[in-house]
Amino acid sequence: MKKITISSLILSLFISTFAIANEVNIFNARHYKADAELYGKFTKATGIKVNLINGKSGALEKRMIEEGADSAADLYITADAGRCGAFQAKGMTQSGLTSATIKSSVPKNFRTSHWVGVAKRARIIYYSPERVTGAELSGMTYEGLADPKWKGRLVIRKSSNIYNKSLVASLIANNGKKATAAWAKGVVANMARESTGNDRAQIMAVAAGEADIAVANTYYLALMLSGNKGAEQQEAAKKVKAFFPNQDGRGTHMNISCAALVKGAPNKANAIALVDFLLSPEAQEHFTNNTFEFPMIAGVSPSPLVVNNLGLDFKQDLKTKVSTYGKNQAAALEVMTAAGWK
Amino acid sequence: MKFNFWYLSSLSISLIVAIPILTVFTSFFQDTSNYFEILKQTFFFEYIFNSLILLIGVLFLTFILGVGSAYIVSFYQFPGANFFKWALILSFAVPPYIYAYSLFAFFENYGTAFTILKHLFGDGDYNKHIPKFSGMFGLILSISFSLYAYVYILARSSFLYQSQNLIELGKNLGFSKFKSFHSIILPAARPAIVAGLSLVAMETLAEFGAVDFFSVNTLTTGIYNAWITFDDLAFANRISFFLLLFIFILFLTENLSRKKARYHMEVKGGFKKKEKIKLNGAKSFFAFIFCFTLFFLSFLFPLSQMLYWTIKFPENLAGFQITDLLLNTLYLVSLSSLVLLFFALISNYGNRVSNKKILNTLSTFSISGYAIPGVILAIAFITFVAWFDENLIKALGFLSIKKIFIGSILGLVIVYFVRFYSLAFNGIKSGYEKMNIAVDESAYLLGYSKTKTFLNIHIPYLRNSLLFVIILISLEIIRELPITLILRPFNFETFATTAYISASEDLLEAAAVPSLCLIIIASFFILLTSKYILRDNDE
Amino acid sequence: MMNKNFLEIKNVSFRAGGKTKVKNVSFSIENKGDIICLLGPSGVGKTTILRTIAGLEKIKSGSIKLKDKILSSAKDHVEPENRNVSLSFQENSLFPHYTVEKNINLGFESKKLNGKKKINPNKIIKLLNIEKILSKYPHQISAGEAQRAALARALVTQPDLLLLDEPLSNVDQSFKEEIQVQLKKLLNDLKITTIIVTHDSYEAFYLGSKCGVILNDQLKQYDDPYNVYHFPNSIEVVNFLNRGILIPAKVTGENSLENEDLGTIKGNFIKHYPKGSDVKLLLQPEDLEHDDKSNLKLEVVDRKFRGTNFIYTLKTTTNHLIPVLVHSHHIHQHQVEEKFGIKRPIYIDHIVCF
Repeated sequence: MKKITISSLILSLFISTFAIANEVNIFNARHYKADAELYGKFTKATGIKVNLINGKSGALEKRMIEEGADSAADLYITADAGRCGAFQAKGMTQSGLTSATIKSSVPKNFRTSHWVGVAKRARIIYYSPERVTGAELSGMTYEGLADPKWKGRLVIRKSSNIYNKSLVASLIANNGKKATAAWAKGVVANMARESTGNDRAQIMAVAAGEADIAVANTYYLALMLSGNKGAEQQEAAKKVKAFFPNQDGRGTHMNISCAALVKGAPNKANAIALVDFLLSPEAQEHFTNNTFEFPMIAGVSPSPLVVNNLGLDFKQDLKTKVSTYGKNQAAALEVMTAAGWK
Repeated sequence: MKFNFWYLSSLSISLIVAIPILTVFTSFFQDTSNYFEILKQTFFFEYIFNSLILLIGVLFLTFILGVGSAYIVSFYQFPGANFFKWALILSFAVPPYIYAYSLFAFFENYGTAFTILKHLFGDGDYNKHIPKFSGMFGLILSISFSLYAYVYILARSSFLYQSQNLIELGKNLGFSKFKSFHSIILPAARPAIVAGLSLVAMETLAEFGAVDFFSVNTLTTGIYNAWITFDDLAFANRISFFLLLFIFILFLTENLSRKKARYHMEVKGGFKKKEKIKLNGAKSFFAFIFCFTLFFLSFLFPLSQMLYWTIKFPENLAGFQITDLLLNTLYLVSLSSLVLLFFALISNYGNRVSNKKILNTLSTFSISGYAIPGVILAIAFITFVAWFDENLIKALGFLSIKKIFIGSILGLVIVYFVRFYSLAFNGIKSGYEKMNIAVDESAYLLGYSKTKTFLNIHIPYLRNSLLFVIILISLEIIRELPITLILRPFNFETFATTAYISASEDLLEAAAVPSLCLIIIASFFILLTSKYILRDNDE
Repeated sequence: MMNKNFLEIKNVSFRAGGKTKVKNVSFSIENKGDIICLLGPSGVGKTTILRTIAGLEKIKSGSIKLKDKILSSAKDHVEPENRNVSLSFQENSLFPHYTVEKNINLGFESKKLNGKKKINPNKIIKLLNIEKILSKYPHQISAGEAQRAALARALVTQPDLLLLDEPLSNVDQSFKEEIQVQLKKLLNDLKITTIIVTHDSYEAFYLGSKCGVILNDQLKQYDDPYNVYHFPNSIEVVNFLNRGILIPAKVTGENSLENEDLGTIKGNFIKHYPKGSDVKLLLQPEDLEHDDKSNLKLEVVDRKFRGTNFIYTLKTTTNHLIPVLVHSHHIHQHQVEEKFGIKRPIYIDHIVCF
């Protein structure tokens, strides 16, 4: 009996790696419970099993690269177009993510043939209505964050963060590297404290009076307001207002959660089917109500929390292609590091 | 024939361990890409500087906490002394990254501290007055509170073995308590303390989860970042080279001190069971407060924070696949233990019967994997498999073997093996060392063959050591993060990875449930082993 | 071929740890049931000899035969488990995780005794006085108890050859003589052939029918205890047994010698020396007799009380120190620095010279 147990244990080592089935393998860097629920719905609807390997995007990308052509990965799902773009630049994706659903529902700016946005978010400015006047904010832009009037009043997270890298990448695309380098210096000079914590921590710093303005993604405020983070944060969120910058110019910096078709994907058709499913109204509604992102397709409304507290009628930056974020990523990091942005 | 068998098995174990180390060292001599050379230089100094600050901070704090508590608990009798004796090792159940989550969550704006103050004193602007523990300072606290028990355990056992004579000597010389401690007790326990501190230092340099959470760039995360951000494996390996050099020195220090510590402990002659000094009044209160605060901060605090979150956000309990996670953990633990024990037994037995110097050297080498951070091991393993696959397997026209090793339980077990082999090997070795070689010989003379001696005499004798080793391995694997994270297969999570993944997505409260499970299971294992860890003289 | 010895060791060099400990040893045990003792200072290699006979060490030359079967030679080596030779170690070799009783039973169970259970373990347990510790674990008993338990374990296996390494070294002095008697009786009753290693010459003389003296990597003498005691075959053996002193003398006739201090000494030479040769005479404490009236007076420099007797150490004019044994009921005692008379003429029954 003992021997059988032991040998079956050892045998299991070798079997586990060779399962073949109607499946799709996802390297997943988004870890919302809501996503897992969606995958469950997909399996129910199609009979295609969803295999997940969860991790931080960097580690997942690396593993796919090292596994190379032998990787089992079909789809790489992550937040931020910058990541998908950089991954494509490494030659790790393939074209073909171009179903009729994708073409008809996703605006061109938010997709390539290698990867597709499945939800949208904007990176915006949060402010304390008590300490920041409307006049101060009037006509506010990302570029304006370097204005000395914000000295000691600004919080923003670390330079290593992908959202910041993509934001700065878009600034480089619009204003050039040199101007952006000067801008980064200005931003660092304005910081109320050394960069620390995540986006939500920046919003809370404004609520707590540590700073007057913060840069963070849209869905965080809605998340706090939802009460999912507790009553205290719900209260804190009410002390903070959202502001969409660059409304008079190119519009607010947009980003996406994206799914990329991995090169050599063994289950390409299933991967496309899954992306189609994620773009269905049902799935989009699920996203908006749980992660508080903006829907990718028309006809689905964002969460009421988003609609009521952030507003919908803002000008999106559709001029700066999200596919350029990846290209300028390295330059963005260089600019920020050189400015002493921790 | 026999010689060849032991030699081959020891050699192959050493080879497996050697792979990641050699991979790192050979890459050192490759050119790194020119990609952002200046940037890399900047980071490089930051990595070294941060690692040093971290190391100094953690060593200082663990020394104070570990030696202080060990001294109080071993020399004095006060209310709760017997409870704290084992309660203080429970901090092992809280890995640094979970401590980091708790620390951050408690002190952040509108965090748990804020809630408590609000409940106590009503609405108020408390955020400004709540200290913030993040970055380096938070990291030092997280690692120290999680690891001080290494120093505590080793210092305590050394204190216990100090003979009464030594302490009476201090009294006769008219030393004050402080002077006795400073001039007699501490120097006598030095090897044990140094051994404990070196272990702490190695673990600190290897720490990934907490360092990553506080985004402090140390050599270890530097390696990881260089690999990911710069796409520069050679640069990652170059940092690893310096890190390994650093660790190698620690490893030697630890080994030497441990030998001395053992020598010291074996001087049993003249040992008198120490009478603990009974403390009264204020002194007893102080001793109690010190130990309680330490116990509270190191164990109760993170436990309560996780418990609080679990209760506050019960929706995270729904759909939490505790059975799956538990089964996965058990699967990893049993497989790894099996493999580790099997080889550790063979190697130890080989050393015992053949007594060849080369075997000793090989086995010393094969336990060095413990000193290498899990992140580096995992990366080096992937690098090696990819290289081996491209250059040998495919070149010879065979099918790729990558899938067998990367993203498989097999790969995971191999890397665990490299990392934890020293635990298994040393655990069994210390069991064997207590058994006189004459025991084997008298078994032969009673008509037992070598195999029968091994099975009928050694295995039953080592029963306790084996159990202890299994529990230690379990404890390590339950807490293990980077290796599992990088190498695990599809749909395979452990408590540690679930917690980490949630935490990395700004879902700290969702990390609470797996963290809580991890703490509880680990505590259970610790309580099982406490008898062995805290062995007193009379046993 | 003529005499079939039970155990025969021929020209064996005993080695341990790559070093030769005792060179070119030959000796034999003639009959089953004989007990022999190997005597020598510690570290001389006595244990190595036992370990080699047990098969724990290999040999490169010579041969060891038991019951006419080769156990060890340069090319043959019977594994220890197949020799039916028991060795009771000097250090604690009990299985630490089993009780004393289980330890003894393991010995009993392990060997195929071919149905001939002559030995009753209980008898041995009783004889060795270890009934009380049967349920204890090895770390709970004293070193002496552990030695006796190990001895019991070795005995119950009914070995062809029993090897005992300092079997009584950890036994209290008061208990030692009693257990020596019992051990001898037990071994004789069971007819177990035994080699006992010891550094205690009295123990060796009592237990062994033969004694081997090992000194300076050689087996110096292998003989009856009486002969070893009275007729030591070398100065080293004399020194080791610490039985007396050697003083210079000149052979003056068929049965007489002359010493500068003691004058004429008469007796029977055990070996012939030509008249006029200079020799070293072995003078043992019992050789000289006390006589207050004698005019041969020497100064007392030391007096040792040995219970039944005193041993006086006397200094000669040539600064030799001579031991003399005197019964302790002797009328008067001599103090240090007093003069002490020695009866003349001096007569020594067997004269040992070198």
